[in-house]
Amino acid sequence: MLVACLLAIAIFSVASPHYATPGNAVTVLRNSVELLLIGLGMTLLLAMGGIDVSIGIVMGLAAIAIGRILGADGSPYVALVAGPLVGALLGCVTAAVVVQGRVPAIVGTLGLLGVYRTAVFALLGGQWLSGLPSSLTDLLATTVLGIPVPALVIAVAYLTVWLALRRTPYGLHLLAIGNSEEKARLSGIPVIKVRFLTFVISGVLTGIAATFYVATYRNVEMSIGSTSALDAIAAVILGGTSILGGRCSLLGTVLGVLLLRILQNGLLLIGVPSLWQPVVTGVLIIGVLGFEAVSNRLPLTRFQRARA
Amino acid sequence: MRTLRNLQGPALILALLCALWLIVIVGLLALKPSVFNLGTVTTILQFSTILALVGLGQGMVILAGGTGIDLSVGGAVSLSAIIAMLSLKLGLPPVLLPAVCILAGAALGALNGLLVNGLALLPFIATLGTFFVYSGVALAVTGGAAQSGVPGWLLVWGRGVVAGIPLPFLTLAIPCFALASLALMATAWGRWIYAMGFNERSARLVGIPVDRVRFILYALSGALAGAAGLVSLAWLGSGRPNIGQNLELESLTAAMLGGIAITGGRGGVGGVFAAVLLLVTLKTGLLQLNINTVWQVGIVGALLVFVLLADRLSQRWRS
Repeated sequence: MLVACLLAIAIFSVASPHYATPGNAVTVLRNSVELLLIGLGMTLLLAMGGIDVSIGIVMGLAAIAIGRILGADGSPYVALVAGPLVGALLGCVTAAVVVQGRVPAIVGTLGLLGVYRTAVFALLGGQWLSGLPSSLTDLLATTVLGIPVPALVIAVAYLTVWLALRRTPYGLHLLAIGNSEEKARLSGIPVIKVRFLTFVISGVLTGIAATFYVATYRNVEMSIGSTSALDAIAAVILGGTSILGGRCSLLGTVLGVLLLRILQNGLLLIGVPSLWQPVVTGVLIIGVLGFEAVSNRLPLTRFQRARA
Repeated sequence: MRTLRNLQGPALILALLCALWLIVIVGLLALKPSVFNLGTVTTILQFSTILALVGLGQGMVILAGGTGIDLSVGGAVSLSAIIAMLSLKLGLPPVLLPAVCILAGAALGALNGLLVNGLALLPFIATLGTFFVYSGVALAVTGGAAQSGVPGWLLVWGRGVVAGIPLPFLTLAIPCFALASLALMATAWGRWIYAMGFNERSARLVGIPVDRVRFILYALSGALAGAAGLVSLAWLGSGRPNIGQNLELESLTAAMLGGIAITGGRGGVGGVFAAVLLLVTLKTGLLQLNINTVWQVGIVGALLVFVLLADRLSQRWRS
């Protein structure tokens, strides 16, 4: 993964004179903030054998809530709470449908995607939420011990999730469900509780992502988050988390997000129209999974040949 | 009430769909009586043709089980229409346009089948990937611009109306559904599809060529998407790169509303047909009431969630 990242950077540096500049590196890192948080939640969901294609629009709805508070000259501290709160609420809604309703995650969240998109439209009324006051931006643009707040929040989030995965029963249960939900249920794991919680965690992380989104751009547009879900799924899969569940890599997700953003930014700089971005992301998903499938199969055939 | 409770399976679903349909129509009549005339019926059937073809493919793929789903249908509709129009520009004889459009769709569907069968990828993630590839390519090659130049004779078919019924609906959608329902009920292939949807392991054990059937179903879903793309060309007179937008959601909703179980092995195409008419009536009604099209996505999505939950609840209630 690291090799792939460096390779991509090297290729784009040669291809575009604007690529290997400190300014551009900051841009890439800046653009990765939301996806790193959403991708963290998606890592948990995919490792559990779930998925959420509505997550980008959840970020949109949380961003609207934050924007409305700021727009009404509300305290930035209230706005800070609003994002994760809305995210958690919507996570509960998604979990209620998918987990309690026992609906396949992909179909349930696809339906909710439609509902949420209409909600975004209804709340915005076809207009952008723009020109928001800078109080939240100022609050989050500070540094603590020389580290920018977004980097600190992301580090804390990843560390917390890592500890939860490796040091608590929750992590063990999550991976067990990803391996086989039926076996997990039979061995007494509270499957419903763990799955519900994971959807809520993903919602909270997305709410935090929305906070950073509003703080950075100070506006909320109609198309907010429309590609986030696909990007997050691609980044997580690139990072080596198994879509079949049961295996996940948080460091892989970080690298996956960076690689994806490096690729997208590089392609844009060498003059590929942004319309091609979803194509590239889609090909990446299929390519990685296809490669994984083929490489999984090869040793098996050799083994079979040896036995024959 | 007792008769309703005695109804089971497909009959119950059809009865419920008809009731819902009547509610929609009565509601519309109350809100705007001028809506209903022959012109509206024609429009509804015209819109239905595209959704019906796509929904049929989606329904068959889901019916065959194995967590089967085809999320790429919308992209396949757009891309096959664009491929057909671009090859026309590259000097393809116009006579071959319909064939190329359907074949392009079939090829896109076959690619899905290869990913699901050959590489054993999960259907939802493989077709989610191809959905973004197909719809992205359709948008990117054209830069979002509609491709004009559909031959005149195709427009005659696409816009023709016989007794208020559009020709594509009469000559494409109805025969496709008749054939599919005949195949499902009266041929070995149909039995195989139900069998593998119900229990794939036993289906394999009794010697049903599960992989081949599944591959063909994905290719068929693609071909039907290609046919839907052709209908859009013949009706609108141009290839629009975003014509398939939201079709994955709508076709899924139609299949679920039509009584096909998401786990496969249960349901039929008759219900899908009725569900398509219901959905399109609802959409057209909203359009007539001047409600923004963005609301349609939300209503269709809410319907999908509602149907899935209702299905689970009714199962729990019965057992």
